[in-house]
Amino acid sequence: MGKSKVIVRFYRFKNRLKEKTAGLAPGKVSISPEALEAAEKALEKMAEEYPDWVSGLIVKLQEQHGRCVDTPEKRRESLEAINHIAHDMKGQGGTFGYPLITTIADSLYGFSYSRDEITDNQVELIKAHLDAMRAVIRGRVSGSGGEIGEKLIDGLNQAIAKYSK
Amino acid sequence: MSDYDFDRVNVLLAEDSPFIRSLLVNSLKVLGVGNVFAVEHGGDAIHFLQRVKNEPMKVGVQQIDIVISNWDMHPIDGMMFLRWVRRHKDSPDRFVPFVMITSYTEPERVLQAREMGVTDMLAKPFTIKNIGEKLISIIERPRQFVHTKDFFGPDRRRQKLPFDGPERRVLTDKSEGVEIIRG
Repeated sequence: MGKSKVIVRFYRFKNRLKEKTAGLAPGKVSISPEALEAAEKALEKMAEEYPDWVSGLIVKLQEQHGRCVDTPEKRRESLEAINHIAHDMKGQGGTFGYPLITTIADSLYGFSYSRDEITDNQVELIKAHLDAMRAVIRGRVSGSGGEIGEKLIDGLNQAIAKYSK
Repeated sequence: MSDYDFDRVNVLLAEDSPFIRSLLVNSLKVLGVGNVFAVEHGGDAIHFLQRVKNEPMKVGVQQIDIVISNWDMHPIDGMMFLRWVRRHKDSPDRFVPFVMITSYTEPERVLQAREMGVTDMLAKPFTIKNIGEKLISIIERPRQFVHTKDFFGPDRRRQKLPFDGPERRVLTDKSEGVEIIRG
């Protein structure tokens, strides 16, 4: 009889990464609490620089919005760029204590995703998103933002209802 | 109880957002990871791994232990990079743990990455705790690799759940057609 055909191969390796990081000693291993704390601190420090970083991105969004107004025939291109920046922002806001930025960017991202035709109303809607973001950063509205945060999101939702026709 | 020593661990990080990139490099370093090699997109990451394979002395690293990559990057995204790592003949280590960072958390996205052989997903926004948990999971709970005609990657069965019914899996370790490779 010939050798049977292999249908599935399982690869089982020694856990070298464990040997490398925990040695061979038995017992429970964990990440040092001091290291975790230091890393949290480093993250907090970076979070302080986050509003400046976002402001830079908002300026970029504003440029693209301006292009939508000035050169309607190139709106598609601009919208793609906006979609990209929004994607970047939506991943970052929450990490740095600005979940509202994530919420607004998420809305902008969903809205700017592959549209065939972009009306003037929709261009207005981009602006509504930018205004909301700017308000969050200017007011350093971190966390859910309480009453101010609610107002901002309400305002944005109203704009969405008004313009998304 | 003792602490992990990540000093000899080499991480390759592919992330296009400069802010997130420096954040991750910083976090990993502070957690004690010895070497973090950061590149801007999947193409650079592939180039880097090729160099690790061909001229390790020059690059200064023999082996990358963990790959962390963003999904959405240009021109080569995280999925294309993952495909290369798992399937290309030039890949220096097709078994390397691969963590995909994404703000896409839709189930079909996760499924897509899993079918391509991802080890774990890190959802944005993330915390230091999330990063730590991924490291621990990679170290403590590695899965066997499965190679069939249409899949290559870490076993998609993560948990061993108790199951009362009859065993209906067709293949066991002893079945014909099953090959076990140990190393």
